[in-house]
Amino acid sequence: MAFSTFVTSSLVIGLLEAAPLVLAAIGFTLIFRLNGFINVAYSENITLGAYFAVVFNSILGLNFYASILPAALLSGAFSVLTYLVVFRPAFNRGVGKTEMIILSVGLSFFVRYGSRLIFGNDLFNFDFVNPSYLSVFGIGITSIQLTCIGLVLIISIGLYILIYRTNYGEMTRALADNEQLAMVSGINPTRFSILIWFIAGTAGGLAGIFYGAFSFVSSSLGWNLILIVIMVTIVGGIGSVRGALIASACAGIVASAITLVSKPLYGQVALLLIFIAILKLRKGRA
Amino acid sequence: MEQLLSGYFVYSFAFLFVFIALATILHMQFSLTGIVNFGIVGFWAFGMYSCALLLLKLHIPFVPAVLLASVLTGIVSLLLGRIILNLDNQAVLVGTLAFATIIEYLVTTEKWLTNGVMGLGTINFPFDIGRMTLFVYFLIILAITVLLLLYVSRLRLSPFGRLLLSIKDNESLSQSLGKPTFRQKLVFFTFTSAVIGLFGALTAPLYNCIFPRMIGPGVTFSIWIALMLGGRKRLFGGLIGVLATIGLFEFLIETVVPIPAEYAEMVPNFKFAAYGLTLMLVLMFRPLGILGEEGRGTKYGE
Amino acid sequence: MGNKKLHLKNVIKRFGGRKVVDVKDLTFGTCGIEGLIGPNGAGKTTLINLITRKINMDSGQVIFYPGSEAIDISKKSLDEIARLGLVRTNQVIQDFESLSIRDSLLLSLATSKYEKFYDVFKEGKLREGTKQEIEKYLDFFHFADPDGHALSAGEKKLLDLVRCLLLKPKFLLMDEPTTGLPQDQIEKVIAIMRKKTAEEGMSIVIVEHDLDLIWGVSENVHFMAEGEILIQGPPEEIRKNKTVINKYMGESYAQGR
Repeated sequence: MAFSTFVTSSLVIGLLEAAPLVLAAIGFTLIFRLNGFINVAYSENITLGAYFAVVFNSILGLNFYASILPAALLSGAFSVLTYLVVFRPAFNRGVGKTEMIILSVGLSFFVRYGSRLIFGNDLFNFDFVNPSYLSVFGIGITSIQLTCIGLVLIISIGLYILIYRTNYGEMTRALADNEQLAMVSGINPTRFSILIWFIAGTAGGLAGIFYGAFSFVSSSLGWNLILIVIMVTIVGGIGSVRGALIASACAGIVASAITLVSKPLYGQVALLLIFIAILKLRKGRA
Repeated sequence: MEQLLSGYFVYSFAFLFVFIALATILHMQFSLTGIVNFGIVGFWAFGMYSCALLLLKLHIPFVPAVLLASVLTGIVSLLLGRIILNLDNQAVLVGTLAFATIIEYLVTTEKWLTNGVMGLGTINFPFDIGRMTLFVYFLIILAITVLLLLYVSRLRLSPFGRLLLSIKDNESLSQSLGKPTFRQKLVFFTFTSAVIGLFGALTAPLYNCIFPRMIGPGVTFSIWIALMLGGRKRLFGGLIGVLATIGLFEFLIETVVPIPAEYAEMVPNFKFAAYGLTLMLVLMFRPLGILGEEGRGTKYGE
Repeated sequence: MGNKKLHLKNVIKRFGGRKVVDVKDLTFGTCGIEGLIGPNGAGKTTLINLITRKINMDSGQVIFYPGSEAIDISKKSLDEIARLGLVRTNQVIQDFESLSIRDSLLLSLATSKYEKFYDVFKEGKLREGTKQEIEKYLDFFHFADPDGHALSAGEKKLLDLVRCLLLKPKFLLMDEPTTGLPQDQIEKVIAIMRKKTAEEGMSIVIVEHDLDLIWGVSENVHFMAEGEILIQGPPEEIRKNKTVINKYMGESYAQGR
């Protein structure tokens, strides 16, 4: 294909594919910054968001757009549940950072295979009324994709304001670095943490809903994504909403560019190599 | 009926010991050296598929094929280790996980090489002595696993083992004593990953025909939970853990407790959900597993 | 007297835009034992970290003279530098939680000849060969439980020092080695320092806040403040120097030293 088509296609498709990833990465990075560990169980946050939406949409018969909000809220609630029942008690028992990651892997398997026991091993699809199309640079974009991008923008801007314009960002850093000191300054750790985990859970759930809408919903939806969410978060900077956004967008563009000319596998490999290269560059500068 | 059962038992034990070996190698990498290897299945699969390809496509005899597969796995892990082992724990975790994911992906998509989901086979035992073939093969696996355990037991009391522990505890302090920690970590990682590849190669004839669905993250996860449950600091942690998880599950559920056909599909789901729950409980309430802290006589200086 | 030298040229390190170390031209090691003093935050530990490459300098050069030849260690790794004979003790207590005291010492003494992954039968030979030396140090410093762990902060500091001494360094950087030690142990440390410089020609640079110790043991003192070496000279001059008194000794004397 012509080079200009290649570039515009890569950009447009890349950004579209990256949009749900941005949501997931933002949620993930918030938890990572607040609690200091890689929460692999976040993958199930993403998957459950999609499953909840399927319940509202295909089973209860609600319109797809109407299913988004309740499903997202339930995902937020799930996230808070995991925090209160699993992670917070684990912290209090003195589980170390590396062990917390392993613990979250355990939770991830428990929820993922538990879901399969409940929902079965099948795939699900959303029921859409025929979506309308829009043409951007010669590429068709559905109204669903537009909604997704719209939500990404709203949430990113909302969180950006929350973190950089209010003192929520500082509070997160304070709580992350020194809980006792933060408490003395008047921050209620439990309440604040619940809020952050809720926001992160909602973002993850939304990501899952849109990934499911773009393709299909299966129990491994989130699990297939978690690796790239982790990489994008580390590259973008832990706790940085802006970084998550940029890194996700770049990842999406690189992946779609490579997929256009060869196989998706090489996209994965390329992203991994870039990830390692960036880590090594950072280490060299320290 | 008896023969069928005994064949099945031998078969299961052979697999059990492969997993015991893998869990013990994880003990070496994680508990002794501090390498968080979340991609064990990738090295195992690499050894398995390399061996199968050497046997089937290049018609290399069994023993050289197994050894060559092991060496190739070592080389691949050397390249990976060079890149990620001087980065922090999280990077090693992500790097090894990504490696395993890429291997699984490669095996599935490169159909011209691996037949993808159609499976690669038939991989026969290297010898044929009738009914006793499987049993003798199992004895070989058992012997190699026992050798491995002997090596690890001596390793923990040796200068090199002490060096590994120092790297795990405080790598920069170890470096400030002049230890070439990166080089030693890399050497050990390469060696142990080559042994993982060796066991992968040895597993090929047990499966007879190998498919990508056998090399998913569930394998890595099963090894981790086995080691955590058995006791990550103990020599026999892998052994006890594998018997308590994989052994218990495969034996009890599959053999003793009959599952009606409609629920058969759900058994793997139940298994992994239970593993996940167990892992969480172990890490929260008994982090050092069943065997717990070091016993007397295993510490240095005694 | 020590003939092992360290030469620093234009060594600069910035943290977040601010220069924390800026050393234009400094030579350590011309005398056997030298002191490095300065107020908290002067950059003394940072300087040691830069020399041993625990952190990277932004620019500059460090040249080490273990003998007569000059070796540029500006880009060498932490472990290479230690192997060349430039060793440091730690201000913040560092230890190996899995290793007993004896283990730590065996670790120090084990050379690469013993540490081979394919030979797991070398422990006996290592212990035989090092028994005398280890017992000597264990006795000298009276470690309470050599096959257990160092319990008090003082014991951990001493263990850190012994680990370094067993490496037979040519140049030893000591970062506040006597903090938390009882007086009798402090005297033992001083005795060992004197012995090593006199008998083995080791060069020592000692960072300390205990000024009486510094005056008593150093032949040359460097005063550091705000990342720069401001004054150098023999103890008698330094302790009378007005800048040193203003910037540093005022605090120390106020703290009742």
